Amino acid sequence: MTRHAIPLLLLLASAAFAAAGAGGQKSNGPKSSGDDRGVLRAIAEAPVATREWVNPYEGQADAVAAGKKLYLRHCAECHGRDARGSGRAVNLRSPGVQNAAPGELVWFLRSGNLWRGMPSWSGMPVERRWQIVTYLKSLR
Amino acid sequence: MSLAARAVFGLLLFAAMALFPRPASAQETPYFITYSHRLEEPGNLELEFSSNYAAQRGGNDFVAPWLEIEYGATGWWTTEIYIDSQHTLGDGALFTGWRWENRFRPLMREHWINPVLYVEYEDVNGADKTMIEVVGFDGEADHAVRNAVASREHLHEIETKLILSSDFKGWNISENFIAEKNTGHAPWEFGYAVAASRPLRLAATARPCNFCRENIVAGVEMYGGLGTTDSATLSGTSHYLAPMVAWQMPSGVTLRISPGWGLTHPSHRFLLRWGVTYEISGFGGKVRKLFR
Repeated sequence: MTRHAIPLLLLLASAAFAAAGAGGQKSNGPKSSGDDRGVLRAIAEAPVATREWVNPYEGQADAVAAGKKLYLRHCAECHGRDARGSGRAVNLRSPGVQNAAPGELVWFLRSGNLWRGMPSWSGMPVERRWQIVTYLKSLR
Repeated sequence: MSLAARAVFGLLLFAAMALFPRPASAQETPYFITYSHRLEEPGNLELEFSSNYAAQRGGNDFVAPWLEIEYGATGWWTTEIYIDSQHTLGDGALFTGWRWENRFRPLMREHWINPVLYVEYEDVNGADKTMIEVVGFDGEADHAVRNAVASREHLHEIETKLILSSDFKGWNISENFIAEKNTGHAPWEFGYAVAASRPLRLAATARPCNFCRENIVAGVEMYGGLGTTDSATLSGTSHYLAPMVAWQMPSGVTLRISPGWGLTHPSHRFLLRWGVTYEISGFGGKVRKLFR
């Protein structure tokens, strides 16, 4: 077994380091100023109909609090606790994000942007995605 | 479970919690066997210790623990290594091998049905009893052989899966189609796994909570063998039905438990799986800093 294990473990270690290195190029940059055009372009690709989606939690203080709780749990590691971006991810207080329709943001959270490292949050119930968007919109 | 396996996992978990105090909380499904299209978030590392207890007719009951180390290499690629062991009552404990799996999402967007391609290399011996997948004519009788005899057989296998998965109104529904081949001259073996799960509460509450419905996911999975290329069939194969529940704590720890029942004669009558997961956010970045 050892004969096969050593080369495969070396291959695994190489792959992990290669992936870590690729990620490192992204995180060496300055704190995001919110002009990550790739992400903003991806949000803009949301179907037109999503602009008409109505936020069921709009203006609800409980939803803002719940959204903040979810944000800190799932999003803050990349976007920063203050949502100003961390170099790894876009500034969520930027005009590009704040001017997007709530429905576009909910759609984007579901879809993600896997190629650029934004995971799909389709596994998160849509109710929670609306709560996060309600919180983000409260940062305006 | 072997003392060595417990010691290795304990050390890894302790080191992870000490070195990386900022845990992550991912979108875990509670499944033990079935895969969904949810991959590890990029740069995150997940440590998981799971175990499988099985009641054995014609032999001694056993516990088969395994350790998983899962890393989100990119948004569309997750790589994972498994270390397997087992303890058969009255027959001792042993390390039974390792596996290296990779999952790829070919489509960069979310769809109604989301495919994931899975490739795994396994280097295990015949005494492996983790039952992480059930394929071909795998059955209870395979596990009645004494460890000293079974461990002499070395298996080098390639396993592939087509994973199809959907998220709809809080539900996850996943289907896996499995094809496994011993790199020797054995035929392809086939299997399946299907599962569904849902959080007990869809919206989050405003207040922080640990043991509350929003942090608990319940589900059920069914899996079994579909024969081989020589004899593709449902007849004479093992099939299991297993409900499960997972408690996802905000601290980044997830506890899961799943009793399972064999549905056909070749199946074990009863299985009990449990697991604990700890996810570390931004692990890749922290490793890079060590080498700067």
